Amino acid sequence: MIVLGIEGTAWNLSASLVNEDTVLCEASAPYIPIAGGIHPREAAQHFAGSVASVIRQVLRSIDPDLIDGVAFSQGPGLGPCLRIVGTAARVLSLRLNVPLVGVNHCIAHIEVERWNTDLKDPVTLYVSGANSQVLSYRHKRYRILGETLDIGIGNCIDKFARSAGLSHPGGPKVEHLAGTSQNYVPMPYVVKGMDFSFSGLATAAQQTLSSAPVEDVCFSLQETAFSMLVEVTERALSQTKKTDLLLAGGVGANKRLQEMLAIMCEERGAEFFRPKSEYLQDNGAMIAYTGLLMLSHGVKTTIESSAANPNFRPDEVEVQWISG
Amino acid sequence: MDQRLVEATVGAEAKVSIYADVVIKERVPKGYRIKALDEKLRKERTRLEARIQSDARQSGVSTPIILDVNDYTIVMERIKGDLVHRVINERIAEQVGETLCRLHAAGIAHGDPTTRNMIVSAGRVCLIDFGLAYYDGGVEARGVDVHVFFQTLEAMYDSAQQLKEAFLRGYARYCSDAALVIDRVEVIKLRGRYL
Repeated sequence: MIVLGIEGTAWNLSASLVNEDTVLCEASAPYIPIAGGIHPREAAQHFAGSVASVIRQVLRSIDPDLIDGVAFSQGPGLGPCLRIVGTAARVLSLRLNVPLVGVNHCIAHIEVERWNTDLKDPVTLYVSGANSQVLSYRHKRYRILGETLDIGIGNCIDKFARSAGLSHPGGPKVEHLAGTSQNYVPMPYVVKGMDFSFSGLATAAQQTLSSAPVEDVCFSLQETAFSMLVEVTERALSQTKKTDLLLAGGVGANKRLQEMLAIMCEERGAEFFRPKSEYLQDNGAMIAYTGLLMLSHGVKTTIESSAANPNFRPDEVEVQWISG
Repeated sequence: MDQRLVEATVGAEAKVSIYADVVIKERVPKGYRIKALDEKLRKERTRLEARIQSDARQSGVSTPIILDVNDYTIVMERIKGDLVHRVINERIAEQVGETLCRLHAAGIAHGDPTTRNMIVSAGRVCLIDFGLAYYDGGVEARGVDVHVFFQTLEAMYDSAQQLKEAFLRGYARYCSDAALVIDRVEVIKLRGRYL
């Protein structure tokens, strides 16, 4: 089976062709803000201007008659962006006369890495700009064991970075500056049961800029936020009695977060899989591959039910492609 | 004092050593956290756990008496008896309902009320392990507690339905707004996220 997938939830517009074994082709047109962060309307305008050429690039590599289905990111994400991708996918599906399938973006992050690592049943820490969740499969669903009560970790870091005068995306710059400090300034550490909160931390970090050097604030922000994530992840491993940990999402590229997860796993005898960076960020292949799993298990999306779903939660999806 | 070690267990956060007469719970350091943050968290949580556990006791909920609190350790009375996990029946489930309701009425959520965190001692149900407890008397916090307890019943016992009903009889006896909590349990269950 060959599936064409289109990702476009926030910043990266990306189309890809995959079969069961490999990524056949991928083309992307990321949206890069001129100033500030991701502006939903501007991102969507960029998507609208580039979606045809991105799709044309991948179609050029194959005889379109060989395509068995079209997958698209249905959510969660920015509504204006999702609607562009949804429209493109509907047109393609009708034009090629193949089934359409709407994919949950969070699940796609997990599936593409399970594909790469051959992991059967891991606990996943999924950390990106907008999302921060700890997920684990049980009884036909990816259960959300813990999640942010307000903003995602990437958003927290980016907000702080903007007020520190660092350009978008702020994550790598904050990581670099944090690496040059060892001075911890206490910050709000908010874990409630299995959930965590980052909005107070973002505000506190912004305010601390007036009383401490920027490196120290970067260091303290990272240490606090990542400790919260690792603590909840450890508790999820302990509760589920699972022994494999996956890290997904763009913030997963952070070396300090990877190091902390590796130490936690080593201390408790679990296995941590360091992700390949090309699959951490949003990409078309993850949508195409998850679409392939869904289509090969008979899951399709009708045109009527293909509307964008900006708050699409992973536990809304019945997982047909895993048995047990 | 009898010093013999009976049993030792290590959880996600703490090491628990059970001696003949006392239990010592020590929060262990985590290598992934920097020392300053690690020590601060372990101290704060040890203090909070001890405070909640003794507050619960003052509200009439049977909990182990706290004998000593240090930076990272709590020394408490050892409750002798049987884990509810092993001896549960409808009468005990009803008592668990009364006990949890009394705790909730005091504005405390236990956080992990499984049948292994309760001991029947001298005919009373005693709650142990306040490591995940927090101050919150809201419907959501109480609903999560009840849901966690129900989950352990469903996972372990064929008579789960009767035990749940017995629990609710006990819970409704002292909590006049029990119906609100029970409705919330249904909502929480559909989210399917607590194990």
